[in-house]
Amino acid sequence: MQTFLQQLVNGVVLGATYGLVALGYTMVYGIVQLINFAHGEIYMLGGFGALFTYTVLLPGGTPVVLALVLMLLGGMVVSITAALLMERFAYRPLRGAPRLAPLITALGVSIFLQELVRNFYPAKSPRPFPQLVDPSHQFSLGASVEISAPRLLTVVVAVIGMVALSTFVRRSRTGRAMQATAQDPDTARLMGIDTDRIIVTAFVLGAALAAVSGLASGLQFGTVDPRMGFLTGVKAFTAAVLGGIGNISGAVLGGFTLGIVEVMATQYAPDPFSGGAWKDAWAFVVLILVLVFRPSGLLGERVAARA
Amino acid sequence: MTAAGSSYRRAVGSQARVVALAGAVLLVVGSVLPWARFSGFPGKMTLAGPGGARIGPLLLALVAALLLRQVPGSARAVRAASTFAFLITGLTVFFIGYSGGGADYVNAGAWVALAGALVYLLGGLGLDPSRPASSPPRSLPDAPWALPAEWLLTAGSTAVALYVFVHGLGIQSANVGRPNDVVIRGAISINALTNDGEFLAFLLLLIGLALVATRLGLLADLSAITKKHPTVFLAAGMIAATAFPFTQNGNGYALRIAASIGVFAAAAVGLNIVVGLAGLLDLGYIAFFGVGAYVAALVSGSVTSTIHTHIPFVFVIFLGAAVAGLFGILLGAPTLRLRGDYLAIVTLGFGEIFRITANNLDGNSGPSLTNGPNGVSNIPDLTIGSFSFGDNHHFLGVDLPFQANYYWLEIVVLVVVMTAFLRLSESRIGRAWVAIREDELAAAATGINTTRLKLLAFALGATLAGAAGTVDAHVVKVATPDSFTFLESALLLAAVILGGMGTVPGALVGATILYLIPEKLRFLQDLRLLVFGVVLVLIMRFRPEGLIPSSRRKREFHDDSGGADALSMPPGHGEHMA
Repeated sequence: MQTFLQQLVNGVVLGATYGLVALGYTMVYGIVQLINFAHGEIYMLGGFGALFTYTVLLPGGTPVVLALVLMLLGGMVVSITAALLMERFAYRPLRGAPRLAPLITALGVSIFLQELVRNFYPAKSPRPFPQLVDPSHQFSLGASVEISAPRLLTVVVAVIGMVALSTFVRRSRTGRAMQATAQDPDTARLMGIDTDRIIVTAFVLGAALAAVSGLASGLQFGTVDPRMGFLTGVKAFTAAVLGGIGNISGAVLGGFTLGIVEVMATQYAPDPFSGGAWKDAWAFVVLILVLVFRPSGLLGERVAARA
Repeated sequence: MTAAGSSYRRAVGSQARVVALAGAVLLVVGSVLPWARFSGFPGKMTLAGPGGARIGPLLLALVAALLLRQVPGSARAVRAASTFAFLITGLTVFFIGYSGGGADYVNAGAWVALAGALVYLLGGLGLDPSRPASSPPRSLPDAPWALPAEWLLTAGSTAVALYVFVHGLGIQSANVGRPNDVVIRGAISINALTNDGEFLAFLLLLIGLALVATRLGLLADLSAITKKHPTVFLAAGMIAATAFPFTQNGNGYALRIAASIGVFAAAAVGLNIVVGLAGLLDLGYIAFFGVGAYVAALVSGSVTSTIHTHIPFVFVIFLGAAVAGLFGILLGAPTLRLRGDYLAIVTLGFGEIFRITANNLDGNSGPSLTNGPNGVSNIPDLTIGSFSFGDNHHFLGVDLPFQANYYWLEIVVLVVVMTAFLRLSESRIGRAWVAIREDELAAAATGINTTRLKLLAFALGATLAGAAGTVDAHVVKVATPDSFTFLESALLLAAVILGGMGTVPGALVGATILYLIPEKLRFLQDLRLLVFGVVLVLIMRFRPEGLIPSSRRKREFHDDSGGADALSMPPGHGEHMA
C-alpha cells in the first residue's frame, strides 16, 4: 500500500510535466488542427533557456528565489521566440495546404531545433543543471510517503500554470476569441476576430507553459539534454489525445492519467515487462489502446468525421 | 523580383546580352587554362585543357550561346547558368587558395575564369527573368527516323543517369587541407569543406544543368518522350542498373554503398505505396523493415542467434515478409479507422515499441530473443542453392567483388517492389487508394470500402518492408535496435517526399540523394541532420510536390484555377470540400 501511494505521488509529478506540455499541443491542435511535433523541442528549449540564463546572465550569489524567477523568464523568452519564429516561417505559409505538408514541416522543425542545440550549445551532453532546489530535502505526506522539494515545486507550478491558463481562456476577451476560433474559424473571422493573432497567441501560451515544464524537469533531474524533447513531446501528445485533443481540461487530466499509468505499469506490470526499461513502451501501448477504444479521449466529444 | 533587381536590369538594359556573352567567352578561356600552381589539388588543375572542377564553369558558360538564338526560356536558363558558373568558380578558386596556403598558389587561369564568371553573372542578372508562356512538350518531327530517335533518347537518358551516378560516386574526398584547420562555429571545418570541394562543384553543376534544362523545357520534353516508350525506358534502366558493377573495377566499397542505396530505395518505394498512394502517414515504417531483418537474422544460422536454426533464404524472405505483414495487420486493423494524423502518431508509437522491445529482449529485462543492444551479429553470407554470395568473381575481364552479388540481389528486390508499385497504382485498387487519399468521405460515398483498402495498403507496405529487411540483414551482416530508430523512418519519409510522393522515379531519386549526399559530403558530419531538418521545411514550403512529382499532384499544388479552392480553404475545412 505504501509503495502504491508513493508511486501514485511519483505518477502525479510525472503527469504534471506531461500535462504542461500537452496544453501546448491541445491549444494549437484545437485551433489549426496541426500536430505541432516540434512542441517537444520548445519544452527542451525552455530548459536550455533557463540554464543559459543561470550560467551566463546571472551574477553569482543571486538569491535562489530571484534566480528561479529570472530563469523561468529566460526560458520563456527562448521558448516563445522559437515558437513565434516557427509559426511565422514554417507553419503560416502552409496554412490550408494538404494535411501531410505541415506535419512533415513540423518533423523538420523538430529535427532542426534538436540539432541546433546539440551542435551549438556549448558544453557536453547532457548538460548539468544547477540544483537550486535541494533534491535531498524531502517533504513527508504521511504514511511514509515522501516527495522531494523540486518535485513538489513541479506540481505546484504546474497547477498554477494550468489554473492560470484555464482562467485566461474562459474569462479574458482573447481567451474567448480562442474558443470561438477553435469552434469555427470562418464564423470567428466574420465576427471580427483576427484569427492570425489568435493562432499566434495559442503558440505563445503553449510555449510559455512548456518553458515552465522545461525548467521544472531541469531542477528535478539535474540535467538538460537536447534529446529530451522528443520523447516528452510524443508522450505529451499522447496525454493530449488521452484527454480529448482540443480540450484544455482534458490535456491536464490526460497528463496526470498518463503519468500515473506509466509509473504503475513500470511497478506492477507482469514480471519480465516491468521496470524502467519498459517504461516508454508502456506509454505507447497506452496511446495505442486509447486511440483504438476511445479515439475521442476521456473528455473529448465525438468529433464529426473530418477524415 | 525585387525593386533593386528591376532597377539594375533597367540600368544594364539591352547591354545585358552582350555583357553576358563577353563574360561567357572570358570564362571559357579561363576554364581551359591552369588554375592551380601546386599539384596537390585534385582534378589536373595545374594543366591546360579542361579538367576537374573546371568542367562545370566551362559547360555552364557554353549555355550562353543560347543568347545568340532567342529560344523560349533562354534568358532564364542563362541566368541560372551564370549564377551556378559563378558559384562553382568562386568556391573552387577559394578552395585552391585555401589549401595552397594563399593567393599565390592560384594560377592566372583561375583569375581569368573568376573575372569571366563575374561578368557573366552581371550580364545574366540583367536578363529578363519573366517566365515564358508555358507550352505543351515538344516532340520530334514526324519522320521515319523519329521512332528510333525517341528510343535512343529514352535509352540515352538512363545511360546519362548511370554515368552521373558512377561519376559522382567515384569522386574521392581529396586530402588537400592545411594542417591548421579553421573551424566555423564548432561544426564545419573549412579544411573538410575543401576536401569535398570537387564533389561540391559537381553537385552544383548538376543542379545548374538541371535548372537550365527545366527552364528550356527540355526536361518536360524528355519525360514526355520516355513516357511514350515505358518498355524501352524500363529495359534501358535495368541494363544500366545491372551494368553498374562492371564500371567499378573491383571497388567493393562503391558496390556496398550502391547496395545500401538499393535497400533504402526499395523501402522508400514500399513506403510510397502507403504514403504516396493511399495517403497514410506512417512514421514507424522502419519497424516493419526491422521485423524482417530480425526474422532473417534469427534464422540465418548465425552463432549469436538465440534460435539455433537455419532456414534457406528463399523461404526466409517470404517468412520475414509474412511476419512483418502480420504486424502490419495487427497494428492497422484497429487503428486505420482513425483520422490521418492520429495514425501518424500510432505508427510512431509502434516504431518506438519495436525499438524498445528489441533492446530489452536480452534475457535480462525480458525474455531472451534479440540479444538486446548488441543485436544479432555475424550473420553468415547468403547461399541460394549452391551459389554463395560471399564469393568474388571475375567476369568479362572485370573483378566483381562479393558485394556485387548483394548489389544484384538488391536490384532484383527493388524491381519486384517497383513492379508491385507500378502495377498497383494503375489498377482499380490503386485508383481507389488515390481516391481515399484525396477525400475519404467522397471515396466511401462512391462505394469504396475505405477501411479494407487502407488496411491493404498498410499491410502491403509492411510486407514489402519486411522482405527488404531480410535482404538488408544479410547485406549489413548484423541486426541491432539502433538501426531502426525513428530517425530512419523520418529519413525514409523524407526520401519519398523529396523525390515526389506517388512516383517510382521520385522515390529512387530521393533515396539516392538522401543516402549519397551525407556519404559524400563528409564535411557536414554532425550538421547533416540539421541541414536535413531545414531542407524538409524548405521543400514543404517551396516544392511540396517533390523533385519528380506525379502529374496529378503537381496540378494539385500549383494549379491556379479549378482545384485551387480546396487549398485556399481555412485550415481544417479543406476536408469538407466536395
